[in-house]
Amino acid sequence: MLLKGIGFTLALFAITIVTSIPLGLGLTFLANSRIKPVSLLTRAYVLVMRGTPLMLQLFFFYFGLPFLPYVGKYLIMDRFPAACLTFALNYAAYFCEIFRGGLMSIDKGQYEAARVLGLSSFQTTFRIVLPQMVKVVLPAVANEAITLVKDTALASAIGISDLMHYTRSLVNSRAEVTPFFFAAVFYLLFTVLLTRLFSRLEEKFKF
Amino acid sequence: MEMLKLINVTKSFGTNEVLRGVSLSVRRGEIVAVIGPSGSGKSTMLRACVGLERVSGGTIELAGRALVRDGVYVRDREARDICSRTGMVFQHFNLFPHMNVRDNLCLAPVLRGLLDKKAAAERAAELLYKVGLADKADAMPSELSGGQKQRVAIARALMLSPDIMLFDEPTSALDPELTGEVLTVMRGLAADNMTMVIVTHEIAFARDIADRVVFMDGGVIALSGTPAEILEDPPTERLRAFLRTFSRSAQSA
Repeated sequence: MLLKGIGFTLALFAITIVTSIPLGLGLTFLANSRIKPVSLLTRAYVLVMRGTPLMLQLFFFYFGLPFLPYVGKYLIMDRFPAACLTFALNYAAYFCEIFRGGLMSIDKGQYEAARVLGLSSFQTTFRIVLPQMVKVVLPAVANEAITLVKDTALASAIGISDLMHYTRSLVNSRAEVTPFFFAAVFYLLFTVLLTRLFSRLEEKFKF
Repeated sequence: MEMLKLINVTKSFGTNEVLRGVSLSVRRGEIVAVIGPSGSGKSTMLRACVGLERVSGGTIELAGRALVRDGVYVRDREARDICSRTGMVFQHFNLFPHMNVRDNLCLAPVLRGLLDKKAAAERAAELLYKVGLADKADAMPSELSGGQKQRVAIARALMLSPDIMLFDEPTSALDPELTGEVLTVMRGLAADNMTMVIVTHEIAFARDIADRVVFMDGGVIALSGTPAEILEDPPTERLRAFLRTFSRSAQSA
């Protein structure tokens, strides 16, 4: 039973990571857009997503959306998709800020060198700027990933049968505390694994 | 033939006029050294020639093609094309730190479809040999000294077979003992008849290498002449004062 819970926890983690990072990068470009309304809107989005509790956002997307007038009936989602969507949108906002900071750290001279060599802005972004940004943001991304491992436990609040959910019900039904320890060890191991993975990545991006 | 021609170029940042009508023409094979106090507009002029600064008025032509005519720029695509026939070397090298030396050289010609990978690698090897860094092709920029980085930057600019090379204080960020190796490479380019415009504080080098020395002051070209006319027998008090600050700092250094 706990294993099934771990499955949901891992799936939520994986889906959030692979969707929120590209989404966050997209938001970064929008936030830096020269079109003022686009950048303002993006920044407002980031402010709201970072400025309100993830738990509240979960409740909003799962319980709240269906109550919206007119469109509500089209926005009824199962628990798991609702959780994935919420996590992806929430983490994308954090990644957006991390990437924005990373972009600001790139020396102006890099853009100038690329320009005088005749590279297009697309080539400059993908061949010159992003690889250097990755190096800068890796530690912060690792930090977010570790936070996400533990944030997945929030999904049990909308009734997803993740590791936290099963752990709680085991503790209640058996009246013993060991499942809590088991869950703690799992989250801890997962974190250790991620830490290792990211330090290896950081090693690779040393230049 | 004129490789670079500026006619009455102006540029202002807000109310601050950085260029107040600069006219200059550089013939094929000519080497022009630009000297002048900081804030005189030397770097701005040079950067405007490759589109890194937008001028407010005047005309800039590179190898006969106008980048700006009477303050009106050509379309961005054409501007990039014109500017990319011009090699630019920066004070701070601006190598791409995440690529090794060879990839720094090959990236632009390969991405732009000017050379295939193999031809680019061969050309890179040739140019690295020419700047004395044949053994550094696999090194990362962080492993190089400042002088080596600048030589790589020069080789990188040469990869595109430019019509003209522009140098923006190429030795100003270097320790004094490392300037020599960069100046030697530039002398080599001069021997190959490369057209060059060099913004520099190396007065002795300017005297030595330049066909013409241009003294900029307050956003205009105050004086222009042979190294002998400008440097041996400075005709104005402003220029004499400027040159004195150099001999003083050279003595104290």
